Amino acid sequence: MEEEREEGRKVRTLIEKATNSTAAEVDPRLLKAIKSVVRYSDPELRLAAQTLMDLMKRDHSQVRYLTLLIIDELFMRSKLFRTLLVENLDQLLSLSVGFRRNLPLPAPPAVASVLRSKAIEFLEKWNTSFGIHYRQLRLGFDYLKNILKLQFPNLQAHAARLQQERRERERRSKEILVNKFEFLKENFSSMKEEIKQTVDEIGECLDIVCTKEEAVPLGPVDDEDFVEFHSSELLQIRLNALKEGEKVHENSDNKVIFDALRESYKLLATKHLGLVQESISVLVRVEVADNRFRDSILKELIDIRNHLQSVKKKCEESGCALPTTANHDEEEEGFWEEGKIGSLENRRSAVPAKQNDDFSMAFTSNELKIKTPTSRHKDCNDSEMLIREDAKADSNSLRSKLLSEAPLMNWGSFLDNWGSNREILANQRGLELESHWGRVDYNAVIPAEKIAELNVHSTLYKEEQTEILPCRAPLRKGGVCQRRDLRVCPFHGPIVPRDDEGKPFDQTSPKDKINVDCRIDLVEHLAKQAVTNVRERDKEVAKKREIDKQSLKRAKLAKIREHNEVVLRDAALASTSRSAAIAEDMEATNNKKDTLSSMLRKKVTTKDRIAQRLLNTRAKDATVRELSLGEDANYREAFPNQW
Amino acid sequence: MWKEIGDREAGKLRPKSFANSIKSNRIRTLQLSNHKDIVSPHRGAINSLQEYNEIGVDLTEGRYLLSGASDASAAVYDVQRSTDYEGGGLIARHKCIFVVDKQHENGHKYAISSAIWYPVDTGLFITGSYDHHINVWDTNTTQVVMNFKMPGKVYRTAMSSLATSHMLIAAGTEDVQVRLCDIASGAFAHTLSGHRDGVMTVEWSTSSEWVLVTGGCDGAIRFWDIRRTGCFLVLDQSHSQLGRRPPITERSTTNKALASKSLSAVQSLYPKPRGQQRKLANGNGTKQSLGVKMAKGSVRQRLHPGMLSIQDHATAHYGAVTGLKLTEDGMYLLSAGEKKKERTVVEVVDKEGSDSRLKLWDVESGCNTLVNFETVRLQTSKPIQLATTQDSSLVFVPCMTAVKAFDVWSGRTSSTFRGHYEYVNCCWFSFQDQELYTGGNDKQILVWSPSRLIGDDLVLTLQLRIFNPLKIVHILHMMKDLLRIRTTGVIDIGRCCILAFDLRLLDDDIPLGPMD
Repeated sequence: MEEEREEGRKVRTLIEKATNSTAAEVDPRLLKAIKSVVRYSDPELRLAAQTLMDLMKRDHSQVRYLTLLIIDELFMRSKLFRTLLVENLDQLLSLSVGFRRNLPLPAPPAVASVLRSKAIEFLEKWNTSFGIHYRQLRLGFDYLKNILKLQFPNLQAHAARLQQERRERERRSKEILVNKFEFLKENFSSMKEEIKQTVDEIGECLDIVCTKEEAVPLGPVDDEDFVEFHSSELLQIRLNALKEGEKVHENSDNKVIFDALRESYKLLATKHLGLVQESISVLVRVEVADNRFRDSILKELIDIRNHLQSVKKKCEESGCALPTTANHDEEEEGFWEEGKIGSLENRRSAVPAKQNDDFSMAFTSNELKIKTPTSRHKDCNDSEMLIREDAKADSNSLRSKLLSEAPLMNWGSFLDNWGSNREILANQRGLELESHWGRVDYNAVIPAEKIAELNVHSTLYKEEQTEILPCRAPLRKGGVCQRRDLRVCPFHGPIVPRDDEGKPFDQTSPKDKINVDCRIDLVEHLAKQAVTNVRERDKEVAKKREIDKQSLKRAKLAKIREHNEVVLRDAALASTSRSAAIAEDMEATNNKKDTLSSMLRKKVTTKDRIAQRLLNTRAKDATVRELSLGEDANYREAFPNQW
Repeated sequence: MWKEIGDREAGKLRPKSFANSIKSNRIRTLQLSNHKDIVSPHRGAINSLQEYNEIGVDLTEGRYLLSGASDASAAVYDVQRSTDYEGGGLIARHKCIFVVDKQHENGHKYAISSAIWYPVDTGLFITGSYDHHINVWDTNTTQVVMNFKMPGKVYRTAMSSLATSHMLIAAGTEDVQVRLCDIASGAFAHTLSGHRDGVMTVEWSTSSEWVLVTGGCDGAIRFWDIRRTGCFLVLDQSHSQLGRRPPITERSTTNKALASKSLSAVQSLYPKPRGQQRKLANGNGTKQSLGVKMAKGSVRQRLHPGMLSIQDHATAHYGAVTGLKLTEDGMYLLSAGEKKKERTVVEVVDKEGSDSRLKLWDVESGCNTLVNFETVRLQTSKPIQLATTQDSSLVFVPCMTAVKAFDVWSGRTSSTFRGHYEYVNCCWFSFQDQELYTGGNDKQILVWSPSRLIGDDLVLTLQLRIFNPLKIVHILHMMKDLLRIRTTGVIDIGRCCILAFDLRLLDDDIPLGPMD
């Protein structure tokens, strides 16, 4: 008996413990414990049902929510629990859905709405699973749905619809596949015929071309000799010449053959190969009763495909069957003008058969690369570098722009976490320090926002040190003036750029003009150019400096603004009670005891406080008025004849 | 069950008490039925339920249920035979046979507050509505055959199931007068004046065809003898007697002194209410009451037509009387009413129905028996319909969203039926099947039935105990008035055969045809 009661207390405490939490889920370990306790004894289950119903009456939505989750778990598993619960189903529903106007759901409204939607969802689930055995379930569901017109998630119907749709889609695709298969079956022989014809054509064309090729003496025998050539230029020229000789050139004689070849190739590559590929995939996917036929076709098709591929390869190797496209031309032109030789490598296959003289150069150099692996390697590196340079040049403008805008930061440890959005464990520094006085929560974290706040950086404005140039005017005693002034030297007037002897640049040119007559044009031009160059550079520097300054200023302003904002936000956070509540929520992870009540606590906003104050003043006014009125009345009563 | 059968066989138990004991056992296990659904076609609160209940005439008894609802519709259901099944035959659904509603050319415009069967057969039924009309319908053609225009909203109509010499519909309306509408002539036969406010509830005596009981919004319960003018008895809550009168036989032997003392004290004040054609379920009472009547005859004659005005002002409840129910023997009256009438609006909103009570009156003496019915909360804005079991041991009372069964004599709650989601307005207890039907504001009609069918009980018992077919027939014969057709669809021959059918089905899976 005693033991039984002990046990009873156990399930009760378990349930109470499980529901006394702010989490959105019941602790799975506790839930498991409850289930295992309840599984083996009916009195336990009765007690659990009783306890759960009691908890549902608690004036706190969170408690009710967790209780409802536990109820659902048990409801789906235990028949006895179901029979116990449906007895009071109307009560359970009114406590969880809150459909009775005089019994609304209790305090934290956010949790209450979750509770309500969950309860409705559960009711629907229960009804679909067990409705047939419990009239009460059917009644409750019916009442909420048809009389209160609550919106049920209609999960089952939804799932069924999805399933239906999927099945429909599958069926349709299968149908299409079968249709395709039928079509293939019908047209297979004709298709085969067609392909065969094309392949034959290509073969013939190639034959013709190859015989011509054989007539020309082959160069590569001499290749070994050319390795001795040290000058790459010479080598190139030589190879070029060889190549020219080697090639089967398209001319008026064999133009027809080439055209035919090209056409057939195109047909083969675009049409037949694709068709065969598609047919294979159809055959693989289709499900038909007659597997043998399918397999045989499949085998045949795979053979055809392989054959086609080999033919195609042959065409490509012959190197002249590739149809030219306008797109390739354009690209080629582009690379030629920019001199991006490296990128050519990828496009080797796309090089047109028809080339003018300019292009042949590039083409041959390319070929050369392939044939001499060492040089190719080097070229490759070069080209890579080129590409990189190129990319740099490309992005240069953008990068410099960004760089000019970017604020300059001093180096610091905060840069380690630059841009990271992680939470940081507050109490783990890698050192086990046992000198704390209190308990330490090792799992405490500092949220990312807080970290960002802590890392906000302030910088002081430092004036940029500019180098002040010396005056450099020639002195009478020899040498130049070393005085440094910004613009005007008090002794020698405005500071102008001068040469080593101290002569200003401008004044030298007329002298030269007199001295050197014949080269006057050139020198003048050069000088002018130099001057403009220098000026331009100066201007640019000045401009850049100005931009720098401006951006710096902007950055500074932004920083100040940011700082102000932070300060204001901090102040606001500290002052409003809502934020206090947030802070409490943060603490809640540590201290679960009072969170349930804290959830209930009314959050006083500034508005409330103002309203309160207004009300107070109003009330004060009212009382004052009333009092004075009362006094007045008293007076009137006391001295009826005197007022 | 087996013991009872054995006792009955040995003659230790009388047939009636045998039946009663089995029935009360069944009533004790009443619960929300999962096997029987009445599909309500109504789109409004169910205000009235009645099953046709003519005792011992033919097989249609207790088969047709009539319901009236706030959407001005009335419907009839066959509660014996279901229209379709659901969940693989687990749930028998009873759809209505027909429904009359606003669309009907002569249908009511507003809520039907009361729908009753014509007591003689199911060929007619009567509906009373808030549109001031009482319609008499022909069931077979679903046409209105007669129409009475009343001066106000009709709250309740009633016909006497005992009546052999009149066909009067008693109607309680907003008006202070109770009107009796004669179906035979199609005119008002009487108007009974006496109430000072609308009449919520009307009930014919179950022991005399001439006696009518009405309960009004003024808190008075009046007894009328329709052959005389004026009422002859107004119940007064301040006159009370302690507890139930002991049964007459007992009283005459053991307890005579006390009982007669209290009775005579009361009866000296009040006239005898009984009419001549009194029918009591237990016939012992007749002689005794006749004797009393003879003795008090002179008093009645002196007092009856113009009763003392002080008596005329007596009230049974402080507030409106919302429900009346006479016990089957006609000796006691149950009344439901408000405790207080004057309440502020706020209070009404606050605790509607919290302040009401059920009272049990001794009709003979006109005294409140002071039975304390535990924590009754009733809705007070509408008339409610109470129901009792056949032996009047239990009363079913709609208490807000639940129906409670109280022990009539002790007032203790015997069970609570929770199932409705809004207020329950009416309940009806089927004596034959021991089933309870309840209707409420949530537009549902719920069936509460014993956990097992009687056939199941019997079959189980017989299977376990009896192997002799002759004995089975014997037992079946003993039990024949208890047995009912099950939902197997076999009917019409006699209840014995049907049970035999069930037994055979269980025994060797070969269904027998109906036995001749």
